[in-house]
Amino acid sequence: MSASSGALGTTRARRRPGSNTARTAVIALAPFVVFCLALGALPFARVVQMGLSKVDLGATGFSFDWIGIGNFQAVLANKDAWEALGNTAVFIIATMLGSIITGLVLALLVNRAVLMLPVARNVLIWPAVIAPVVVSLIWLLILSPTAGGLNKVLENLGLPGQTWLNSGHGAMLSLIALDIWHWTPVVFLFIYTALQSISEELLEAARMDGASEGQILRRVTLPLLAPAIGAVAVVRVVMGVKVFDEMYLLTSGGPNGATTLVSQRIQLWFFQDLNYGEAAAFSILVVAITIAILLLALFTRSRMAGRS
Amino acid sequence: MSSTLKSRRPNIIVEILLVAVLIAVTAPIAWATLLAFLPNRAIVSSKWEFPFWVGNYTDIFSGGTLFLQLLNSVGIVVGTVFLCLAIGSVSGYSLAKLAPPNWVRLPALALAGVIPLIPPATLVPGLYVLLDTMGLLGTVPGLVLVNSLFNLPFAVLLMSSYFSSLPNELREAALVDGAHEMRTFWLIMLPLVRPGLAATGVFVGIMAWNEFLMGLTLTSGGETAPITVGIAGFLQQYAVTWGQLAAAGTIAAIPMILLAVFANRHIVAGLTAGSVKG
Repeated sequence: MSASSGALGTTRARRRPGSNTARTAVIALAPFVVFCLALGALPFARVVQMGLSKVDLGATGFSFDWIGIGNFQAVLANKDAWEALGNTAVFIIATMLGSIITGLVLALLVNRAVLMLPVARNVLIWPAVIAPVVVSLIWLLILSPTAGGLNKVLENLGLPGQTWLNSGHGAMLSLIALDIWHWTPVVFLFIYTALQSISEELLEAARMDGASEGQILRRVTLPLLAPAIGAVAVVRVVMGVKVFDEMYLLTSGGPNGATTLVSQRIQLWFFQDLNYGEAAAFSILVVAITIAILLLALFTRSRMAGRS
Repeated sequence: MSSTLKSRRPNIIVEILLVAVLIAVTAPIAWATLLAFLPNRAIVSSKWEFPFWVGNYTDIFSGGTLFLQLLNSVGIVVGTVFLCLAIGSVSGYSLAKLAPPNWVRLPALALAGVIPLIPPATLVPGLYVLLDTMGLLGTVPGLVLVNSLFNLPFAVLLMSSYFSSLPNELREAALVDGAHEMRTFWLIMLPLVRPGLAATGVFVGIMAWNEFLMGLTLTSGGETAPITVGIAGFLQQYAVTWGQLAAAGTIAAIPMILLAVFANRHIVAGLTAGSVKG
């Protein structure tokens, strides 16, 4: 396909002045396309092949026997898959809402700050540059029932120690809190940047008209921030689908699968159960669901934009 | 900045709330750093005592494995940043300034849009087989390639947006003066997007340094693994003390925090890059 259209592109370009530019443009863009096809599309095609085959790992490497949609049926009938999807949905909704509310409040605070402004703008992004592995470790040092800092504080206050990581709901809530602490900086930066582009004249005009600060926030600031909040919500959803490290390290997906999200499920099936076919089939389902949700979000946004 | 009209008087409640927020942000990091310099008996004791101790660091480096993992991570970061800046700037320049024909432009944009949406875990089975056939499983070059895949879409789009902000007349003038397209790119356009190179490089570097899943699944651990996998290994050994864990964590975290302090502008530019396109 690319060969024939490539020849067409060059003949067409040769007649025009600037034919060099068209050729240079293709040559310059080619590394990116070739790299992504080789390292992205090729492995993905392999995942699709695995998803549609009975996969065996022999002495000579992988062998594939075509079995059609058998793996997909097996995944859909497996309650572990549904548990992972359910946990992921809970995790995504909670961390998205939590970090957007926290990030919005922080952005409004920093926008009003004077003395703390330089320090806050620098320090507030620190959690976002630390590796998820290290963030998990830091929170283990706080939450661990035996040596965690939190229990030391509770004990000193004469309160009973917590064992949140050992109960299903406690573990999920701990991971949600950790994720909000870790990634609110990204939300804060998105909203703060948008906040700074709102013209002060507009807010001043609203004040002249007698609007209270609360009214200005509801009627002027928040509607103007809506596109940035929508964009960062999409970013947070994608981050939630990808999350892996924290559960792997802090809870191993437990207790009893209570914090097993889709990435854990895939990794467990592939590397622990050596169930390559179902791991691949589930991968494809997850990608399909993610893209469907994002298209729905895009569709809703364009409809809302069309109405206003 | 929007502070021109309003007189800026500090609001005490806002400032106090921000101090509280900054404590919430820094306290967990400070706690881990504190534990890194304490012997184990002070950590598990219910009393508050802080005898300064560097033994945790000498302990975790004594086997030599952690140092090799540190070197692996440095290699992965250097290779990934180099590859992403090289392809990112050349291909980003093409997208922004050279108007490539649609048969190559549209697939490029589709790849750049879809790859960031794919959960890396879903590609692990495919990447495992691919690296295995290439003989790159468990090697630094293999992890450089994989890390580049996940960071290239961002690098290309960010570099492209920086090139877009340069006036077209600049390139045309250079071409009229007889400079070749490649010379124009290298000598005139590229030096003008140095802030873009810095933002892209710093961001990609952080992502590669922090990456864990690929390091875990595409190496056999031990001396072939990056530092994040090494730290995770400490977490799963029962013989390791809390202080050693904390020390290992600071080794991965402190360089990034220093970067956040001194290259703040570039990190902010990278993190907010998406908001412009929305």
